[in-house]
Amino acid sequence: MDPNEPKDPDEPAPFPAGAHDPFPPRGAELAPEVPTSAPDPEPDDRNDWIQSADAHDLPTREPRLKTLGRYAFPPEPPLDEEGEAARDRRWTSRTVIFATLFLLVFNSVSIQSWARQQEPGWITATVQQLSDVWTAQISQLGADQPREGVREAYETARDQRFPGQPDAPPPT
Amino acid sequence: MLFPTLAFGVFFLFVYFTAWSLDRENGRRKIFLLLASWFFYAQWDWRFVGLLIASAVLNWGVAALIASSDSPGRRKWLVALGVALNLIILGFFKYYGFFVEQAVELLNQFGWERDAPLLQIVLPIGISFFTFQGISYVVDVHRGKTPPARSLVDVMLLMSFFPHLVAGPIVRASDLLPQFDRVPRLTREMAALGLLLIAWGLFKKTVIASELAVRLVDPVFFDPSAYGALDIAAATYGYAVQIYCDFSAYSDMAIGLAALLGYSFPRNFDQPYRAGSMQQFWRRWHISLSSWLRDYLYVPLGGGRKGLVSSCINIMITMLLGGLWHGAAWTFIAWGALHGAVQAVERVWRHFREGKAGLPHWLGVIVTFHIVCLGWILFRAESFDLAMQMLEGLTRMAPIMVLTPFLLALIIGGIAMHWLPPRAVEGLAVRVKEAPAITMGVLVGIMILLVEAMRPEGVAPFIYFQF
Repeated sequence: MDPNEPKDPDEPAPFPAGAHDPFPPRGAELAPEVPTSAPDPEPDDRNDWIQSADAHDLPTREPRLKTLGRYAFPPEPPLDEEGEAARDRRWTSRTVIFATLFLLVFNSVSIQSWARQQEPGWITATVQQLSDVWTAQISQLGADQPREGVREAYETARDQRFPGQPDAPPPT
Repeated sequence: MLFPTLAFGVFFLFVYFTAWSLDRENGRRKIFLLLASWFFYAQWDWRFVGLLIASAVLNWGVAALIASSDSPGRRKWLVALGVALNLIILGFFKYYGFFVEQAVELLNQFGWERDAPLLQIVLPIGISFFTFQGISYVVDVHRGKTPPARSLVDVMLLMSFFPHLVAGPIVRASDLLPQFDRVPRLTREMAALGLLLIAWGLFKKTVIASELAVRLVDPVFFDPSAYGALDIAAATYGYAVQIYCDFSAYSDMAIGLAALLGYSFPRNFDQPYRAGSMQQFWRRWHISLSSWLRDYLYVPLGGGRKGLVSSCINIMITMLLGGLWHGAAWTFIAWGALHGAVQAVERVWRHFREGKAGLPHWLGVIVTFHIVCLGWILFRAESFDLAMQMLEGLTRMAPIMVLTPFLLALIIGGIAMHWLPPRAVEGLAVRVKEAPAITMGVLVGIMILLVEAMRPEGVAPFIYFQF
């Protein structure tokens, strides 16, 4: 069929091209977006003494006291293996000492009762007298109260019986 | 000198600070630790320090001869000699009286009555542990698994090191000797773990195990006929918790004390009551003994390589001897036989039901736990008669006499702790290691203070000291 042949105006077109298309245009046919804001300005020159920082994000000047501190007390170089080991040992020793001191104050009764259980002798008698004085002094400060409070609560719980149960026989 | 005593605390503080003051002189540090260990051991009976030294010299000498020998036949003879000498020492002190009594009874039955050479032999504390360590050292050198120690001091310290000396864990030469080569490194994590394990062990031993022993287990096992089913069942479960808390507490404290001195010991318990089978139970209970029995007894017997029947016989022999290791009494042998028989049944079950669904895990846990409790009755009872009385008493209805809400809570808590997250203490150590020393010191002090406030007066020896 000759495409230049004149068409019958009454013949219905199978695919009317001039009609309004109900579907939105496909992606490729979308019109380019109109920019809504001005393009980004050119970045400023980076500060030349802190390579990774943007000068706009940093204070322009470090506090003088801090600067002085950095020069007066420069940071130590990282510890080597021996240094780390020594630091960990110091930490452990301090922990042990603090725990011992804590127990000397709050658990002085244990020393007293231990000394009383030992066979009599010069050392045990000395320890016993020292512990008696120490325990008496510490109890005046009320440092024995936490232990006593826990002990009382514990004994109350321990001596509970089931309903209707007779009293417990003494422990063997 | 027991771990949970003030005397030991003072002793350990002295050892700790002196040992770390010698941190640049490994040789002197080891000699100091050796002397401290002998002092610790001498607190029970100074005469047996000589036995400890003799045993170490023996094992060092045999291992050195094995290492210097090129002849396989000679090496085999030497290792046999070393094992035999260790077993003779153990057998004389631990089993002489038992076997002589049994022999006399047997001969009497045949009408041959003679005066037996009975001796009252004092059992050196911890002999089962240090002789097993000696055997493992000699055998490992023979097998080439570990090189011979560099010096006699190393072997002496291996066998005498006080944290594990009297009740394990059985630390092998391959674990400890390399650590003796240089001054150990103490990290914050090790130290935090050590301190937490010591505090946790003190709680388990002096509060849970002691209360259960004194108020429930000892009275009921002493006279089961006086109690009803509920008290007897509670005492049985209570003993299961008591022995776990007692023995695992010792192991925890031993591991913790060694960690504070910079040495690493292997783990000895891994929540054993959550095992779904007896085989699993022995992978979680007294791991250093069960792995020792596996490597030096079960595998040399043939293990599971020669088929099902051979495997069952070997496990039976291993567990019988494991029972005998615990003590020279028929109740211990029966306990070992029970564990061996159940493991043999499990193997047969698995063999014939391979590929088929087994018991649900939760049911396996319950069944295993109750078989273990049945074994504990044999283990704890002074005689078969008392064990039978305990079992008979489980059917006797009577009012509750000794069980209290508190003891019930201890039993439930002791079992429930098996379902804590695995490696909970290790996880906590990682968290607290960053704390300042004063915070950590106060935290440890508070934990020990709580234990001290709750514990009964005095402290009973650890159960495994008698083995």
